Amino acid sequence: MKGVLLSGGSGTRLRPITHTGPKQLVPVANKPVLQYALEDLREAGITEIGVVLGNKGREEIQEFLGDGSEFGVEITYIVQGNPLGLAHAAGCAKDFVGDDDFVMYLGDNILQQGIGELVESYRAGDYDAGIALQAVDDPRQFGVADVDDTGTVTRLVEKPDDPPSNLALIGVYVFSPLVFDAIERIDPSWRGELEITDAIQLLLDDGRRVDSHVVEGWWKDTGKPEDILEANRLALENLDGAVEGTIEEGAEVTGSVDLAPGAVIEDGAVVRGPVAVGSDTVIGEGTYLGPCSSVGPNTTIENAHIESSVVIGESEITTSGKIVDSLIGRNATVGTAEGLLPEGRRLVVGENSHLRL
Amino acid sequence: MHIITHTCPSCGTVVAANELESDRVMKCPGLGCDTVLRFEDLPAEDREHFLENRDQYQI
Repeated sequence: MKGVLLSGGSGTRLRPITHTGPKQLVPVANKPVLQYALEDLREAGITEIGVVLGNKGREEIQEFLGDGSEFGVEITYIVQGNPLGLAHAAGCAKDFVGDDDFVMYLGDNILQQGIGELVESYRAGDYDAGIALQAVDDPRQFGVADVDDTGTVTRLVEKPDDPPSNLALIGVYVFSPLVFDAIERIDPSWRGELEITDAIQLLLDDGRRVDSHVVEGWWKDTGKPEDILEANRLALENLDGAVEGTIEEGAEVTGSVDLAPGAVIEDGAVVRGPVAVGSDTVIGEGTYLGPCSSVGPNTTIENAHIESSVVIGESEITTSGKIVDSLIGRNATVGTAEGLLPEGRRLVVGENSHLRL
Repeated sequence: MHIITHTCPSCGTVVAANELESDRVMKCPGLGCDTVLRFEDLPAEDREHFLENRDQYQI
């Protein structure tokens, strides 16, 4: 079985963070989102992985993943170019996949429990496809599956007004090569994209068997800033922190703390886990770093109060104002305006930024 | 929809036809690969199909 990891998309909902990089490399608990998917594939025994690249952020993704050897996998790149839909992305992988079954995994999704059970469920039956599902509160916002008592899918409905179930499709699928024939036979939808749900529905219409697996544990699509913060919270709560950096005497540290090599929590700082602190970052005196925060590498924080936030890295934060529920991009400087006249905040804000002051 | 791709003979990187057509001639985007890929590398039948249905391959 092979893996096809989708890494395209423009990331518009994550602007301005995605002005300078692909959404799949935004860190959650100091690890790029894409790496979670890659590790899930590897842990399911899938080491031949095709990474589908779109128009944006190709070089950054290739630089991060390389040939895959650093992650224990073998990567082939597939350049989709225009974002013509998930079925188009899958179709572009046809030559790479050959006669194998494959898992298609959206590279901006994180699953708490990985994909092992989905793959096992597919392998255990005589199926032509398998889909991962999760029960959601409002299925009208999702593609929804109707399944019978054995878990076999009977039909798919995209964003239905009257959902047949509360089981939404999340971004992981297993396919046999038969899906390529279905993709050849579907047309672009009203939005100009080849929809993978149309291809799966065609498999069902052809009498093919489609397995479903209801994913236990949490699942996050990290498409928006609030999703990144929530995924960060969930991932940190799962993280077994390792202290490889330095906690100075006089620092007050409680809870799970993941401290990378070279990171320092200085005397006079207060850190309450779960938190992750990247390499060579300094949590300085007078700082409060509160639960569910991740601070990336090479960052300095002094006299600041930060909680439930993600600081991507290479930044300096010295404001005395409280920072909560925030996503701060790379190379940001957040200082203090105290003592400056006229009084007021000084901002240099990029396009598509969101501030609440 | 007929999806047309070309696989780099040197490194196995796969490139979609829309990408090849927009550049006509491009260095393979595979890591460390210097092979030159051309839209003309595609079979004539695929090139013809792509050009006749170009709108489908744009977004």
